[in-house]
Order: sequence, then structure tokens, then C-alpha cells
Amino acid sequence: MEGLKYIPDKKFECNVELTGAEKFYVWDGVSKELPCKETEALQCNVSFSVPTRMKELSYRADIAAAAQEAIVITPQTDRLTQIIFVRDTLSAVSSRVRINCRESGEYNIVLCYHTNGNHEYSTEEQMEIIVSGGAKLDLVIMQNEGALSNHNTDFKIRVEKDSHLSMNLITLHAGKVSNKIHTLLSESGGQCNLNGLYLADGKQVIDTKITLLHDAPECASAQMFKGILSGEAKSKFEGTIVVTPKGQKTEAYQANNNLLTSESARASSDPRLVIYADDVKCSHGSTCGSVGDEEMFYMRSRGISEAEARILQQQAFAGAVLDKVSTPELRERISRLVERRLRGEDIVCAGCGKRCC
Amino acid sequence: MSTLLEINNLHAGIGEKEILKGLNLVIRKGEVHAIMGRNGSGKSTLSAIIAGNPNYTITEGSITFMGQDLLKMSPEERSWAGIFLGFQYPVEIPGVTNVNFMKTAVNEHRKQKGLPPLTAAEYLKMMREKMAFVEMDPSFSSRGVNVGFSGGEKKRNEVFQMAMLSPMLAILDETDSGLDVDALRIVANGVNRLKTKDNAFVVITHYQRLLDYIVPDIVHVLYKGRIVKTAGKELAAEVEKHGYEEFEK
Repeated sequence: MEGLKYIPDKKFECNVELTGAEKFYVWDGVSKELPCKETEALQCNVSFSVPTRMKELSYRADIAAAAQEAIVITPQTDRLTQIIFVRDTLSAVSSRVRINCRESGEYNIVLCYHTNGNHEYSTEEQMEIIVSGGAKLDLVIMQNEGALSNHNTDFKIRVEKDSHLSMNLITLHAGKVSNKIHTLLSESGGQCNLNGLYLADGKQVIDTKITLLHDAPECASAQMFKGILSGEAKSKFEGTIVVTPKGQKTEAYQANNNLLTSESARASSDPRLVIYADDVKCSHGSTCGSVGDEEMFYMRSRGISEAEARILQQQAFAGAVLDKVSTPELRERISRLVERRLRGEDIVCAGCGKRCC
Repeated sequence: MSTLLEINNLHAGIGEKEILKGLNLVIRKGEVHAIMGRNGSGKSTLSAIIAGNPNYTITEGSITFMGQDLLKMSPEERSWAGIFLGFQYPVEIPGVTNVNFMKTAVNEHRKQKGLPPLTAAEYLKMMREKMAFVEMDPSFSSRGVNVGFSGGEKKRNEVFQMAMLSPMLAILDETDSGLDVDALRIVANGVNRLKTKDNAFVVITHYQRLLDYIVPDIVHVLYKGRIVKTAGKELAAEVEKHGYEEFEK
């Protein structure tokens, strides 16, 4: 990933054709095309206590409500909704976004984050997502920003009865990223898959903090986060699954794997399970490692150069997350971007002369 | 006949442990050699060193391949020069598909020769042809390299890869281990069809079984890191009959 170039254009417009996509822009946290409304805060709080022989254990997740108006995204079932967030002239922006998916049907949304120039952009974002009424939402988020950007996102997610969310969070490039993801499965039959891929080199820092609450019976969740780190990049992953006393028949899985490709790259991983129900299937695991020597020698013995062998392995590692993107066109596009990123080339969409995600 | 590979007084091992203790071997074009020997005699060490496995250290001696100092070359350079090792234990690479793996390998070989990469259609045609060689189902191409393959399928995959790269010198390290009679025949047929007057094969094995299918010109017995006997194909039968004891003096 050495020698990465990031050269955005002055004027920016995404001209990549995604079949059936409807495009919207958000410039420095303001959209002319999407409604901006006073929206009530998304209720994601949970508190309970469990008496035990020794003492009362209590748990409380209090999530502060955002005060400002929200840009409201209401996707349609017959098209892909693409929102392009561009950081342009302001150095600091604070914004709130609400995704409402409240009716039965299958929805596809892709969010692309981009900075227009390699400046010290700072972004504080509240992202609220509600999936209810049997809706199935497939959400892809591409974070592709300049090396000096500092982007903090607070996700609040609520998945209600028999509704499904699949979120794929791809951090391709950025200076400093923090994704805090607070998810509540509040009614039975809910499903939530959170997948993430983060790529970092140089002095980039990527933090992921997940709290996933199972507060209803018969819900399923799966998390798979993978990171590829080179240079002096750092990543921190903290993931907690909480199954409350109401969460019988829960299935919850979590995995975090990190591939370190340099001596100085660092990854820390802290997976946790907190279970207050007795009929559940839960597991978690994490790894931090480097490229396998045996695999390396096998590939090289077939004439694949060391550099190419490393890229093949990194692509394979990332592939497990990319395979979760359900739209084939989008999956291919993202896979190509990841490959370019791993090869240290400009991260440019095929068919677009501009630099975006 | 012209010399392909020449090994002189090779001493090598892992860490402090010396495994090869002064090994000499000459392989010429058009020859099939068999190297037999007990477990621990150094057979796999020899093949790993020829292919350039970085886990081994060479303390003395030389290996030249077609006039070049082989020990100065990286594993990929050796492959480009025409060396192929069929692994005793082929490595599984999850996530890298067979087709991606071999296409990358074939195109890197072409790049070294100054040839343009194969188009997807050209590659597919070549792949189907060589897969038929070892009676391999084309569906294997979309699976991860050796992932979930049976022992026999892994060995067939090795011979398929060999066919794709058409090496000058192929070393088959216990390719017969774990094979049933049908798989053995398929693997041997693949090798026999690839044999020409310009290339050479080294078959490493415990048993004579494989040598009934791939008939060697020269048979060596390896004992404690040295070749202690070299003769024609009748030596294999002798080993099968009397075991290795008579060489252990």
C-alpha cells in the first residue's frame, strides 16, 4: 500500500453509472435534494437488572439524543439510493442523518464519503438507522477520504420485528476514522449483519467500537470486521455483544481479523460477550497476524513474485467481507477499488476520471 | 546429452541440523530420475532446496541450473527459469481461487519472456486443455487453491499446475503418497505426456509402485544425506525386494 496518491478534483461530480441508481449529494452536511427535518431521537436505550445470589447486576445503555435537524433518507424498493457526501469548503462539519426503512420490502442504499482536496477536514456525524415493518435493508458505506481527514461517526441502529439489516462498512482511505456503532435488536425475528473492512497505511488510525444489544427473543446477528494495516497504521476494535434476559434463542457471532503487512503497523482487538439469557448461541473470536510463510513459498514456487503473492493474499483476506455486498455490480466495483488501494494506485472508479469512492 | 542440473558436494539443513551431507547429482535433458530412500534420508530436503524454500540453510556446495547459480535465485526466479516442485503436501490458500492463482502464475511467466498476458478466453482454453490431462473437473477452477480438495485431488492439481507451466525440470515429491490406483494412473499419465527430449523429471518416492507407471532411466538411493547407490531402473525392484538395509553400511 506504499506510495498511495490521493488527488481529488476541484469541481466534483460523481459520473459513475450504477444501474438503477438515484443519486443525491450532501455538501458539507447540507443537502438541497433531500428533506431536512426536525426528527425525534431514535430510541436505543436499554436498561435492566438481574438479581443474583451475590448482588444485583445491572446494565444501562444510555444514548444521548442528537439535537439538530436530520437529513432524512427514505429509500424506495425499486431502485438503488446513492448518497454522495462531499466535504468541500468548511473545515469542520457536524451533521445528522436519518435512514427510515419502515415498510416491508427490500431496500438498497449506498453512502459514499469523499473529501474534495487533501485538507484538514473534520466531520462529526450522527447516523440513525431504523429498520422496521419487515423491511430488509442492504446498506453499503464507502469511506474514501483524504489522508488529513478526521471523521467520527456515531451510528444508532434499531432493528424491529422481523426486519433485517445488512451493513457493509468499507473504509478505503482516510486520516483518522472512528466508527461507533450502537445497535439494538428490539423485537423478535430481527436480524442484523454488520461487516466491515478497513485499510490503513502511513499514520492512519481506524477505531471501531460496536455495542450490539439483543433485547428480544429469536434475533440473529453476525459481525465480521477485517483490517489490513501497513506502514505505521493503527487500528482498534472493541466489540461487545449484550444479550439481555429477554434475548432467549439469540444467535450472535462476532469475528475481528487483522492482517499486518509491516513491522510497525499495530492492531488491537477486544471482543466481548455479555450474556444474561440461558438459551443462546454466541461466539466471538479475533486474530492479528501476518502473511503465512507456507502459502507465500507455495505461490512463489509457481512463479508468482513476492509482491504479487502479497496482493493475492490480501485480496483473499478482504474478499470474505466484500462477498457480503449483495449487489454484484457494487461488489465488483468495490473489489476493484480495494485492489487499486492494495497496489498503491489512485482510488478511482472505473469509467470515472475523478477521484471518489 | 546436455546437463540441466548439477549438484556438487551439497551440505544443507534446518538451523543447526545438517540433513544433506555432501550430495552430488547430475540431471541431463530427456532423463527421468527416481530418488528413493527412507523417511528422514533427506529426499524432501533436497527438493525443497532446489525449489528455494527459505527455511533451509546451505553450508557448503553448489547447484547450477542451465549454467546459472541456482542458490542465488529467489523461488520465483527459479520457477521462471523452468524449475517446478510438486509438493508432498500442497498448501491450501483460502480465498484465492485456483483460476486466479494459476492465471497470475502463467502471466508472470509470460511477462518474464516478454509476452503479453493471456486474455481471459485464451487462458480458459489452455486451462481446460490441461485440466483434461489430469481428468480434473473444470469446477475446481473456481474453488480456493486446494481448499477442501481430497488427497488425490491435491496431487492432480499439482500435475495440472505443472502442465500449465511446462517446466524444464520437474521434481515430484512423493506425489504417489495417499493416491489410490486410479489417481496414480492419472497422475503418471499426465507426467508421461509432458515428457519430451528437452525436459527432465525427478520422482521422489518410497515405493516402486509409481515407478511401474513412470519408468525411470536412473534410480538413486539416498541414505543419511548422501546418494549411496545409482543404477538403472532395476535398482527400484531390488529396493522393493530387499528394503534399504543393504545400503546402510
